[in-house]
Formats: sequence, C-alpha cells, structure tokens
Amino acid sequence: MKSLKEEFLDILTNYQGILHKVSLVYFKNKNDREDNIQEIIYQLWKSFPTIKNHNSIGSWIYAVSINTSLSRIKKESRVEYRETIPELSDKSDVIENLSMNESLKLLLKAIYNLDELDKSIMLLYLEEKSYDEIAEIIGISKSNVGVRINRAKEFLKQNLNK
Amino acid sequence: MENTELQKIWKSIDNEINQKSKDELNLLMKSKAKQTLNKYIVIIITSILTSIGLIVFLLITSINRQHDLLYVINNATLGLITIISLISGLLTWHKIQNNKFSLPLKDWLNERITLLSRGLIGKFSKLYILLIPILYILTVLSINIYFGNKSFIEVLNSKESVIGLIIGAPIGLFVSYFAVRKIRKYQLQNLEFLKDMYSRLCNVR
Repeated sequence: MKSLKEEFLDILTNYQGILHKVSLVYFKNKNDREDNIQEIIYQLWKSFPTIKNHNSIGSWIYAVSINTSLSRIKKESRVEYRETIPELSDKSDVIENLSMNESLKLLLKAIYNLDELDKSIMLLYLEEKSYDEIAEIIGISKSNVGVRINRAKEFLKQNLNK
Repeated sequence: MENTELQKIWKSIDNEINQKSKDELNLLMKSKAKQTLNKYIVIIITSILTSIGLIVFLLITSINRQHDLLYVINNATLGLITIISLISGLLTWHKIQNNKFSLPLKDWLNERITLLSRGLIGKFSKLYILLIPILYILTVLSINIYFGNKSFIEVLNSKESVIGLIIGAPIGLFVSYFAVRKIRKYQLQNLEFLKDMYSRLCNVR
C-alpha cells in the first residue's frame, strides 16, 4: 500500500502542469514562478490529508494554486479594475525569453493585461473547464462566470487582432 | 476569431512546460517544508525566549525587592501583560499562518478578510496605542529602580529620574510606534487588496 506522501507525489507528478500554468499567468519573472510553484506544492501537501473527494483533485489543485498565487502577489502587483480596454503594455522583455510560438506569446501578453481575478477565470476557461467547475473553484455563480468570461474573451480577441 | 481558437492556442503551452520528475518535486516540497519550519521555530523560539527572559528578570528582581510593594506591583503588571501579549500574539500569528488555500477563491478571500479585520480594525485594534507607553514606562521603571538601588517612591521623586524618563520616553516611544505602524500599514494594504478583490468578485460590472 502506498504511503500518503507517495500518493501525493504521484498526483502532483500527473497534475503539475496546473502549477506551471497558474504561475506563468501570474508571474512574469522565472524566479518568482519557481518560488510560487514551490509554495503551491507545500500548500497542496499541507491540505492533502483533508481532501475527501478524490474525484475533484483537479479543482482542488486549481483552487490552491490560484489562492496561493494571489496571496503572493498581494499589493506589489496590484491591478486596478479597468472600465476600458487598455493598450497592450510592453512585456516583450519577459515573454520573448520564453521559447514558445508567436500566437501563444501574443495570448500571454494579452492575459497579462487582464486583472488578477479575470486572469484566473480566463485560465480556467482556456483549460476547457466547464462553467460549473469554474464557479466551484472561484466560488461565484455560473452567470457571474459567464459574464466575466465573455468580457475577458472580448478583451483578449481585440488585443490579438490588433 | 472563434471562441475555441483561444483554447487551441493555449493548448500548445503543454509542450512548453518543463515537467519535473517525482524526485525533483519531492525535493522542492522538502526544502519548502524545512524553510517554513525554520521560520516557525525562529519566530516562536525568539518570542518565547525573550518573554521568558523578561519574566525571569521580573521574578528575580521582585524577590530581591519584595519589601518594595509598588515595585512588585510594577513588575507583576509587566509580567502579566507580557504573558497575555505572548499568548495572544502567538495564537493570532498561528491563525494567520494557517491559510486554508483549498477553499474556493471567494470563500478564501472572505476568510482572510475576516481574520485580518479582527486584528486590524476590530474592537482591540487600537490597544497598542495604550499598551506601548504603559509597557515602556513599566520596563524603564523596573530596570532603573533595580539597578539604581532606590525604592519605587524614591525614583519617582528623584528629579533626575523624571527628567531621564521625559527625555528618553519620546525616543523610545517613537521607535516603538514607528515599528508597529509600519507593520500595520503593510497589513492594512494587504487587507485593502483582499477587500478590493472580494468586492470585484461579487460585483459584475
């Protein structure tokens, strides 16, 4: 029989992509991303024994990853709510260093201009999560999820078509 | 651009991620746990040792000066405030550290806001304004009386001691208030950030 730690590490190995993606969306600096991943792993391990429903492991990992990332950015990268769509700011110094295709770089640039909450909701949408799952992870209503996704999608599309 | 196109572009990110091996993940977990444990130990041990040191000093000096009732009362009050502050400080710190990250984002924000609000804008949040000068004066008196080889009343009646206290108090109090206000300012900014996120999550504009 597997120990709790073994079981946890197996799950973590399979789901680690979530940690990388959440960190990529919230942190532009590589060292910050690595630190954040380490913090998420520790927080996941701390709450692992309390997980009752092993069918929703993915939702649990998303929730811990998003909450941990938000707690780490705190006031330093506070992003004001925007009524209007801002111009894309120049994040090229960070993104150009990543070895990824151009479309993905553009998408990531646009995501960096979303506010912190819409970043997490959009990430879940891009990860093809259902509105029900997103509502469960974020803790808001399905209709609220729908409104936010539509608004954020418009924002991203406008930026990508520029 | 089709809606699914964004998702298609995003999918390609899976190829860009450098997956870590099980051993690497284990190592990351272990080192973070060690760092956190060290932080806990440093904070807890430092607070407890400092408080114990002060209480031992207060006990010894009170025993040596048991004939001076006012001095004993001064030390007893200081000891009591120290013990209560230590316990409540450690409990609050433990609650703040015990972050329930596995909750849905909105519930997690709500919980953090409630917890931080209690300490920062709750009923006893301004108690430090009163406690700092009391603790400062009691500590200064306790040390001066003991090492000055005078009685409590003698020190209070001595012109030099009162002048020393009047000159020294503003400096000591300024440093103490400055440190406390800096910590509170950081925590209040954090609280505002969480409140702002929570209200944006509740209001769809």
